[in-house]
Amino acid sequence: MIKKSVYKIPEGKLVKIDLEEKEGMIEKIKITGDFFMYPEEIITKLEENLAGCKINNEALIKNLDNFWKDYKVICFGITSQGLACAILMAR
Amino acid sequence: MKVRLLTTGFKSAYENMAIDEAILTHAQKNHHATLRFYGWKPFAISIGYFQSLEQEVDIPECKKQKIDYIRRITGGGAVFHQSEVTYSLVAPIDDRFIPRDIQKSYQKICQGIITGLKILGIESQFVPLNDIVACGKKISGNAQTRKNNILLQHGTVLLDVDVGKMFSLLKVPQEKIKDKLIKDIRQRVVGIRDLLGSQVKFPFCQEALIHGFEKALKLEYSKTPLTVSELALASKLKEHKYNLSKWNCLR
Repeated sequence: MIKKSVYKIPEGKLVKIDLEEKEGMIEKIKITGDFFMYPEEIITKLEENLAGCKINNEALIKNLDNFWKDYKVICFGITSQGLACAILMAR
Repeated sequence: MKVRLLTTGFKSAYENMAIDEAILTHAQKNHHATLRFYGWKPFAISIGYFQSLEQEVDIPECKKQKIDYIRRITGGGAVFHQSEVTYSLVAPIDDRFIPRDIQKSYQKICQGIITGLKILGIESQFVPLNDIVACGKKISGNAQTRKNNILLQHGTVLLDVDVGKMFSLLKVPQEKIKDKLIKDIRQRVVGIRDLLGSQVKFPFCQEALIHGFEKALKLEYSKTPLTVSELALASKLKEHKYNLSKWNCLR
């Protein structure tokens, strides 16, 4: 079952989530929206990296913060907290 | 700042995006700056890199109305390219001409549009993250990508807004709120012609923007055309990237 959400990040852009969940963890995720990220191609790695992550605020933010750092990603209009909220909101 | 000025007229979405990318690719080698103004024919919907084409665009309706659809290499939202002047600026990010800070770079480049609109008699303001607003309504949207220390920022300056037509081509989550959304958007978006109460034409507005960028960004224009290599690359990108669903349906 695919869970979805659409979330406008405060002072940021719109992010849309398509999520497959298993036992409280992300199995597969698709992140779309009108935000900006550099390099753009890193989005697929971001989605892959979230697979296996527990769906709670702390775990998601830790996963994302580490990801930006490890891959030297620059975000504009999208934040770890914003993405985490969008994922948590998926129904 | 020395900048090559190009006015390439009306081309298809595939040609326009291919030209932008070809200029960006070459600038990564030659570090030259280019400012281009252009229009779209046929009309087109472009979506940002991170959007899902299938989720955002009613493809059968686009085909029916003979409207092109394309994914950009820049992020941002869905744009209906009909009555507008589009610009693209390619330049090295050196913290002298183009700030390294993304928000500051949007703000600086958008001064070109703001000054251009002022020449037309329109007061406008930059609104973060990437919009220009006149009389409280959005008149310009902008999107940026950065590759190897070279920036491409392109954006639109609206002449007219056909919200009804735009919504007929986009997928709206709930059909029943479509009318409300159309009414909402009409109150939040505006074109140059509405503000001036006059059917000013594309060349006239393009000229104002050319002068606006020149003045605001202290540009020294040279008018050399696209090079043979740039044209060749643009042609290749149009045929092997932008024309293909492999790219447009990427996400």
